[in-house]
Amino acid sequence: MRELVLDCLRAVRAPLTAILLTLALGFVLVSAIADDPVRAYRDLLFANFDSLGNFALFLNRATPLTLIALGVIFSFRAGIFNVGGEGQLYAGAIATTIVGVTFTSLPALLLFPLALIAGILAGAFLGWIPAVLKVRFAVDEVVTTLMLNIIVLLFTSYLANQVIRDPTSYGAVSRVLPEAIWLPALPGMRGATSGIVIAVVLACLTWVVLFRTEWGAQLRAAGTNLRFARSVGIPADRRIITAMLIAGGFGGLAGTLYVLGIGHRFEQNFSPDYGLVGLTCALLARIHPIGALATAIFYAMMINGSAYMQISTDVPRSLVDLLTGLLVLLMTARLARKGQRA
Amino acid sequence: MTAVSLLSSVLEQSAPIVLAALAAMITLRANILNVAVEGMMLVGAFVAIAVGDATGSAPLAFLAALVASIAMSQLLAVMTLRFSADFIVAGLGINLLAAGGSLFALEWFYRSPGGLRPVSFPDLWHVPAGSLSFIPVLGPAIEGQSIVVLLAFLAVPACAVFLYRTPTGAYLRAAGEDEHAARSAGIKVGQMKALSLAISGLLAGLAGAQLSMDKLHFFLPDMTSGRGFIGLAATLFGGGQPWITAAASVLFGFFGALGDRLQAFAIPSQFVLMLPYVAAIVGLTAARWRAHVRNRPARMARPKET
Repeated sequence: MRELVLDCLRAVRAPLTAILLTLALGFVLVSAIADDPVRAYRDLLFANFDSLGNFALFLNRATPLTLIALGVIFSFRAGIFNVGGEGQLYAGAIATTIVGVTFTSLPALLLFPLALIAGILAGAFLGWIPAVLKVRFAVDEVVTTLMLNIIVLLFTSYLANQVIRDPTSYGAVSRVLPEAIWLPALPGMRGATSGIVIAVVLACLTWVVLFRTEWGAQLRAAGTNLRFARSVGIPADRRIITAMLIAGGFGGLAGTLYVLGIGHRFEQNFSPDYGLVGLTCALLARIHPIGALATAIFYAMMINGSAYMQISTDVPRSLVDLLTGLLVLLMTARLARKGQRA
Repeated sequence: MTAVSLLSSVLEQSAPIVLAALAAMITLRANILNVAVEGMMLVGAFVAIAVGDATGSAPLAFLAALVASIAMSQLLAVMTLRFSADFIVAGLGINLLAAGGSLFALEWFYRSPGGLRPVSFPDLWHVPAGSLSFIPVLGPAIEGQSIVVLLAFLAVPACAVFLYRTPTGAYLRAAGEDEHAARSAGIKVGQMKALSLAISGLLAGLAGAQLSMDKLHFFLPDMTSGRGFIGLAATLFGGGQPWITAAASVLFGFFGALGDRLQAFAIPSQFVLMLPYVAAIVGLTAARWRAHVRNRPARMARPKET
């Protein structure tokens, strides 16, 4: 038990430093341009807790971020540089929507699991392509996931505009899912998705699977040292492909839960770059599931709070994008120059 | 006449893609997958309009765009080479920084988050009308193009000559192909990579300047709209060879120019826009597969390891 607590503390410490550094940098920037930087920063971080409505929106942002980060963790732990979170998210969202608006005659008890599974499978399929290309032909997975992101984005744009578009509403959105299969809100909180509970449970589960099972150890071995893993008889290729299936599945689940619990329909460009931010959360947390939960929550606070900050102090909300850019640019840097030569 | 106008619009559409592709190619030859072309282009486009708006001078705006874009590339070089940050992550960071930074500047300094549209804007030099009409078809198509379009197509042979006919180019390729061997041969690998990034920044800056300064004269957030990635796709499809890469980019530019017209044939434009990325994955896989097949006997003789 004590070991578990220590492990989690260690996981949270590294990202905390990076976050505090970014926040400090942002504060300098805000004080340079705003009359009331303290007010701006209070709203950025704590306006999320001012009302139940704000808090609900914050939870709704934390859910997809956490799930994508968990997917990224699975793939990175298996040594796959998966930047395809965005594509997997959209694939899951569109698959769930298509199932949800096509088979409306099915009873909710059947339709709900069907829509859920469709979303997860669509995401997993998107994770499977780069994994197989990587394992079979050594095609660089960064390229394939990056390109697949754009392909999926274009494909969903086609579907949302031409196939499942709601003709009565403005903009490229699908028809609304039948209310019977909406994910119930958190008890006592209107508009807050209960997907966050799923995300927290899955974060703990991910930790157990990765760090407390033999399967997880084999997966991590394949990621740390492929040749070693192979020579001690670990089916590394299989572990890598499975890890990417799970990673894609997590991304798909993020999209699915967004559609079922938050949007209730597919909206083109519904994600404010959740894929890349989720990746950022995972990397900030040093690819640790519990740490990623913490960084995802922090990021959801910042993304959601930036709107309140803009309203109350007219510091532009794009400040958060700027800070994210800085953070992503800096976060993998090491100060020690001669640490290791790759 | 239609052939001329189509050719002319293909040239114009594909010029930024050719430049982006060369920008990605030159770093790819130094073994860097440059995902930051998009961000460097965006910075170039923004700075071109901002400086042109402030000074009213086209050459100054043009130069500023190049300098800003090169500065971004060197920021990436410092972070990755000096502080050993990951190339992909830091590159994506550059993209975010460019998008967030330009949006922040629009919202804060110009108070117009929708974009920056100067009332009057100095024009780039364009090929004067009628000056090339003695060349059939190609001549009239080039007339009226901005100087950047010309530079884009001159950059292709320039890159080819640089890579294959100059010592620096050879060092750069050596640094990309086998870092350790290059280092033991006395090549300064870090410098070569920084140089390739600087050239990449220069080309991306040209592409950005072309986007915002030629014809449009305004800046929109996200106005590069994935052209950097189309360029990357073209480079990967072309395997880092200058001529094939340029041909692929012109082809992708052609599809981009056709995109809207194809809708008449019931092909949704999204599928046309998808082509570059599908081509990149297929091309890369095919190249690997060929290598895989070619090495098969050797691989059978050896114990299985990669």
